[in-house]
Amino acid sequence: MRYVCPICGYIYDEAAEGVPFDSLPDSWGCPLCGAPKLMFEPEAAPEPPKPQPAAAPLAAGDDDLQPLSAGALAALCSNLARGCEKQYKEEEAALFRQIADFYTAAAPAAEDPSLEALEALFRDDLDSGYPGLSAAATAQGDRGAQRICVWGEKVTQMLYALLGRYQREGEAFLRGTQVWVCSVCGFLYIGDTPPELCPVCKVPAWKFDKIEGRRPA
Amino acid sequence: MKKTIAVRNLRLCTKDCLCLYVCPTGASDTENSVIDTAKCVGCGTCAAACPSGAISMVPVEYPPQQKKAGAVLAPAYALANAKARQEQAARQLAAAAESDGLYRLLTAMARSVRLVQEDLLRESGYMLPQSGNAHALLQGWVDSPPSPDFPTEAARRLLELLPNNDAHA
Repeated sequence: MRYVCPICGYIYDEAAEGVPFDSLPDSWGCPLCGAPKLMFEPEAAPEPPKPQPAAAPLAAGDDDLQPLSAGALAALCSNLARGCEKQYKEEEAALFRQIADFYTAAAPAAEDPSLEALEALFRDDLDSGYPGLSAAATAQGDRGAQRICVWGEKVTQMLYALLGRYQREGEAFLRGTQVWVCSVCGFLYIGDTPPELCPVCKVPAWKFDKIEGRRPA
Repeated sequence: MKKTIAVRNLRLCTKDCLCLYVCPTGASDTENSVIDTAKCVGCGTCAAACPSGAISMVPVEYPPQQKKAGAVLAPAYALANAKARQEQAARQLAAAAESDGLYRLLTAMARSVRLVQEDLLRESGYMLPQSGNAHALLQGWVDSPPSPDFPTEAARRLLELLPNNDAHA
C-alpha cells in the first residue's frame, strides 16, 4: 500500500519502507514538507475524469460582492506595495504600505480569540471557502484564481494541521527548532533549516523567513 | 520616451562589470550597485553583455489588467474577509501567548495568512498598482477619507505617481 502526502506529493511506500504506515507514530511527518501523518491518504486508483464542477451558486453581479473589511483592505494594499516593489517603484511601495498599516491598525479586534476558534475558521475555508472559489474559477477558466486555490488550500491545510497538533501535543514539537514561512506563498514549515524547495510554490530555501521569538525585555 | 529600464539582480551579479564598459550613460556604475533609473536610457546593451544574466529589461509601461468575472470575485472577496479574521485572531493570540513556541507559531500563522490573502486579492482584480481598480479605490479614499486619521495624502500622491492603464481600455 502506498500513502500520498497531500501537500507535496511525497509517497510513503510500505513495500519499500518495510514498516506499515499504520504503525508509524502519530508524531511522524512527511520527510519532505513536514505534513503530519494524519493528513496522508491512501493512494487512489486513477479516477476517470470528473465532469466540470458546476459554478458556485453565487450570482455574478457586482452587487453581490461583500465589501472588503479593514483587514482585507490592509492585505490589498500590502499586495499593491509588493507589486510596486517588483516594478522597482520604492516611493509608491512605501505609500501603499502606509495605507496598509492604517488598515491593519483599524481592523476590529477579534472577540474572545482562541486556538479552537482559529482552527474552526481554517476548517471553514477548507470545507467551503476554497471548494466554492475553486469551482467558480474552474467554471470561468480562470487559471490564476485556480492557482491561488491550489496554493492557498495547501497552506491552510498545514496551518489547520499544526494548530491541531499544538492543541494535542503542546509545545514540545516546537522546542529547540525553528518556524519558517515561505515569503511567496505563506507555507509554514517547522524544522532546523527550511526545505530546499518550497513544497507548495517551489521557490528555493532562501525565500523562507525565520520567525524570531520575542526579544528578551 | 524609453520603453524599458535595466534592473540588476544582485543575487545573480558576479561583478564581471561588462555593464560598466558598455553603458552609454554610466547608469550601471553606482555606489550601491542599483542601476540609476534616471540615467538609464533603456537601450538594453548592458543586459545583452552581462555574462551572468543578472540584468533584465523591465517595461516602463504595463498593459491593462486581466479582467475578472463577478462569479469568481464574490467567493474570492468572501474568502479574503475570512482570511482577515484569521490574521487578526492569530495576531491577538500571538500577543497573548505566554510560551515561546506558541508565540512563534501564531506569529508565523498571522504572516502566512497575510501572504495568502495578498495573493487572493492579487487574483481578485488588484494585481497591478496601475489598474483602474486600484485607481478607483485611491480616488474613493481621496474623495471621502474613511476616517480623520486616514493617510489621505498618501492616496493623493499615489494617484499622481501611477498611471491608470485601464483609462482607455
